[in-house]
Amino acid sequence: MKNFFTIWFRELSACFLSPVAYVLMVVFLAVASGTFLLEVTQTPVLEQPLTVALFEAILVWLTILVTVVSMRLFAEEKRSGTLETLMTVPVTEAQIVLGKYAGALSFLIMVTFPIAITLALLVAVSPSVQFTDLDTGALLTGGAVLILVSSLLVSVGLLVSLLTRNQIIAAICCFCAVWTVLLFGWIITLLSGGAVQVTMITVTDHIRDFSRGMVDTRPLVLYVSGTVLFLFASVRVLESRRWR
Amino acid sequence: MIVDVQNLTKRYPGNTAVDDISFNVQRREIVGFLGPNGAGKTTTMQILAGYLPATGGHVEVAGYDVFKQSLDVRRQIGYLPENVPLYTDMRVTEYLRFRGRLKGLGGARLRARLESVLESCGLTDVHRQIIGSLSRGFRQRVGLADSLIAEPELLILDEPTVGLDPNQIRQIRNLIRGLGERHTVLLASHILHEVEMVCNRVLIINGGQIVASDTPGKLVGLLRGNRRVLAQIRGGTPQNVQRLLEAIPAVVNASCEAQGEWLQCYCESKKEHDIAEDVFRVVAANGWRLRELHEERRNLEDVFAEVTSEDNGKNGLLRRTGSGEKRA
Repeated sequence: MKNFFTIWFRELSACFLSPVAYVLMVVFLAVASGTFLLEVTQTPVLEQPLTVALFEAILVWLTILVTVVSMRLFAEEKRSGTLETLMTVPVTEAQIVLGKYAGALSFLIMVTFPIAITLALLVAVSPSVQFTDLDTGALLTGGAVLILVSSLLVSVGLLVSLLTRNQIIAAICCFCAVWTVLLFGWIITLLSGGAVQVTMITVTDHIRDFSRGMVDTRPLVLYVSGTVLFLFASVRVLESRRWR
Repeated sequence: MIVDVQNLTKRYPGNTAVDDISFNVQRREIVGFLGPNGAGKTTTMQILAGYLPATGGHVEVAGYDVFKQSLDVRRQIGYLPENVPLYTDMRVTEYLRFRGRLKGLGGARLRARLESVLESCGLTDVHRQIIGSLSRGFRQRVGLADSLIAEPELLILDEPTVGLDPNQIRQIRNLIRGLGERHTVLLASHILHEVEMVCNRVLIINGGQIVASDTPGKLVGLLRGNRRVLAQIRGGTPQNVQRLLEAIPAVVNASCEAQGEWLQCYCESKKEHDIAEDVFRVVAANGWRLRELHEERRNLEDVFAEVTSEDNGKNGLLRRTGSGEKRA
């Protein structure tokens, strides 16, 4: 357990040791809030609640953020050889995977969180919007589902990062994998020519529902079990080095 | 016995890196691991450190099976990989503290060990610096400090003095020699002189096989070929001196060459004969003058060349260690 926290802390602090973290934070805040503000201010009649517009804007940019954060998790360690030093101290593969995962996820949450400021910005630029117009409950559930989606996507990215030592390959594969996960239900529907309607595993639908304040426990199970599956696979992949 | 390797084999697709080697290392021994590039040194060390799995054979470190009890093994070792991979964005103390924690240290003991390794590896002045800004030599020392921090039973150092300047090499060499009092050290190196000075025992590996294993002194003794004594003599003609030197029973060949007023004479004898004294007697009996008399020492470099070069390997020391037949 101690090792897990040590690796977690190191992983999180490593993000802030390089300028990458600060650049990511600023750029993400700018593009995600820009997308949101544009949508809200340029649409004559907003047909969906503010929170839906906000969380959809975040989700689009979140895919890139996840890619950037998770591509280096293992690919970088493999390339620089530090994985060798990490794997020769008394630390289990599960501790390494979970520690790195927790580090990446907590960093991701820290980067996405400040976007709440955008709402205050919105109130400032458009006199017609009041703070009381915001549905706090929907904001919280939307935030919760965003964390769930992030945790699934980071676990996917971590697995991809484990499979290569090249960061570019990791980034491209990770980006594709993340979108595949996001659109999985939609892809199945499309491939079956509309015969099979898969809605339960479409992430975009969940975001829409949750950010309207609709809490459904079924997606919760999906995200938690999906995350566990990918993390388990990651631990196995890392272990496989020892029986190959 | 702290390291026990039995019939270790490691095969990569299309390439056998380590081919059925066996050796062991006793506690408090400093063992030098020599071999040309690509001989299987690093692979063997990675297997010992629990980083790579073996294809076949049995490896024990401190009584633990490297494959089945990997975590127990890793608690016993400090491993310094070949290219000294470090997190270049961390500060020296940050990195060492992180590594110390992973190795199970904490609290006052971690602080004490940190102080101690910073001191012994000469890092006190740079402990606040970011590793990425350090020179190669300092990075090497950070890696060494990392391998020492948890006071492991066994230190596995893969070329610890590469990229250091002569002063740093001397410091590290002294450090390693000092380590031998409390730790067991397995040291891979290219610098034969260093191995000769530091190690109690030498393992030479070539083509995935151990071709020699003994103390540096004994290995030198195993060398084939004649001993050569050099003498600088004044007083006789070259022909005369050569004739009289050749008359010494054990001498198989003698040559004399005039260099100014002095004659530079080489006498060769069979390995088992020490002829320096005989040469002196001949000089004294003839009333010549003698300026220099010494036997040319052969060193580990000669051993290394003999057992690892293609044409010599098969019938040199290889035969004496009894593992030559299996070479592909």
